[in-house]
Amino acid sequence: MPSSNGLSISNVGKTFRSGGRDIQALENISLELPAGKVGVLLGPSGCGKSTLLRMVAGLENPSEGTITLNGRAVDQPGRDRGMVFQDYTSFPWLSVKDNVAYGLRINSDRSALNEGTVEHFIRAVGLEKFADAYPHQLSGGMRQRVAIARTLANYPELLLMDEPFGALDPETRWQMQDLLLGIVRKERTSVMVVSHDIEEALYLGDVVFFLSRHPGRLKEVIHTDFKSALPPNDREAFLQSEEYRRLELHIRRLMQDEGRDAA
Amino acid sequence: MTAKLSDRATGQALEPVVPTSATPKKRRGYWFDFNQSLPVNQRLILGAVGWVAFFLLWQITAQMDLAPDRLYPGPVAVFDSLKTLFLEQNFLSDVISSITRIVASFVIAVLIALPLGLLMGSFARVDGVLNPLLGAWRYLPAPAFIPLLLMWLGTGNSQKITLLLMGVVFFLVIMLADVTRQTPKVLIETAKTLGGGRRIILWTVLFRHSLPGYVDTCRQMLAVSWTYLVIAEIVAATDGIGAMMMRAKRFVHVDDIMAGIVTIGVLGLLFDVLFRLIYRKCFPYLGRSHS
Repeated sequence: MPSSNGLSISNVGKTFRSGGRDIQALENISLELPAGKVGVLLGPSGCGKSTLLRMVAGLENPSEGTITLNGRAVDQPGRDRGMVFQDYTSFPWLSVKDNVAYGLRINSDRSALNEGTVEHFIRAVGLEKFADAYPHQLSGGMRQRVAIARTLANYPELLLMDEPFGALDPETRWQMQDLLLGIVRKERTSVMVVSHDIEEALYLGDVVFFLSRHPGRLKEVIHTDFKSALPPNDREAFLQSEEYRRLELHIRRLMQDEGRDAA
Repeated sequence: MTAKLSDRATGQALEPVVPTSATPKKRRGYWFDFNQSLPVNQRLILGAVGWVAFFLLWQITAQMDLAPDRLYPGPVAVFDSLKTLFLEQNFLSDVISSITRIVASFVIAVLIALPLGLLMGSFARVDGVLNPLLGAWRYLPAPAFIPLLLMWLGTGNSQKITLLLMGVVFFLVIMLADVTRQTPKVLIETAKTLGGGRRIILWTVLFRHSLPGYVDTCRQMLAVSWTYLVIAEIVAATDGIGAMMMRAKRFVHVDDIMAGIVTIGVLGLLFDVLFRLIYRKCFPYLGRSHS
């Protein structure tokens, strides 16, 4: 039974038509992400993880199965499922402040605008000094901060992220992962992240959903409860923990199996 | 050296350190390297060199008796007649009627083309109906409609404005649609997941993102408008720059004809500069790199 609280994906499949042939991208995916948790869709390229995320966002429709968020069926995009993309999506004609306020403005959310929501999230991502800057004056990492602040300021029930830090250099990526975890824990937001990076998946996720490819199937669900015993925000301790090493090796082998099948 | 390094942490541009004491040695291929970007003052000097050379060549060939002075006057003679035209022959009112025709026809063209271009660039089904239709009209030469327009609208201003309108409006629709279509899909999808409806995304993303492109397209199409102006004013016109030039032809006043050409050139350039100023003033967020 799908629970009414959180994200529920049941028996979802996706078939694309290409050149007169049907290509099955995803087959019979069922998973649950409880509210307030961080889920990661991990898998080799071509496993359909981005397609699955886009279906949760309502940007594409599943060929079979149903997706529900907090009991409501998903059939089109909506404010309750804000998405951060890998590409920089700050609106270039708006200042940082106006970018972050965009969602609240188009939804005419006067009360949130007056309560200082915009300023709160600009502070949360550490951009208060750049509130009046335009995106072309910012670095890639800062633009992703704008995108995260803009999405969270809109109070989504589920934050969707499609390889959000994939275009950033390693140090900035680590910074952004810590920043994201800090905000998400404080705001108790549910998050679903697409990643192809094992370390990132285990570091961010409470639950990691490993997808195999051709067609994309849910192969394994990995819980990272071991992290609760570790000191928070300590990447060193995380990377050196025995559980991390074990899971990393395990997932690496899953990935290699996928690579062998493709070759 | 205008290359800038970008500091990742602050996003500020760092200028490369240039030794100031000794004059830097000029590298081989200093004058003609590929993709050089020049400082503003050097660009101005180079531009002036081209123009001065042109006027010198014109004046020298005019004095060389290759053709009678009456048929091939030099720049000095042309500027003299330009002065006479403005001071003694009320040329200013001709110029004003020409500008009025250009501006009136172009404003109407934009009012028609902008909504159509925005909708065609945004919605494939609108494009599917209108693109084959309007795209084909582009290839019908506007001057071919002059006999029809003369019969329908007479020889007055409305006929001339209609001709100018027909000359640009079809191109304008197609080009504005192209600009709109270049809006990144990911910006539209972002707005969707922030809860934006169709009308809101149309205005706050597609229209807003395309605005600089619209201004630039209008700048380019206005140049085309000026070429149709002369055609419009050569046929049955009593006033305007083109009409003056046709009168001058009757009396073989070649200097007046050339003065008309110069006037159109200068006016076209002024409008171009005006659009560039609007562009720079209204879209500071594009930065200098237009990225």
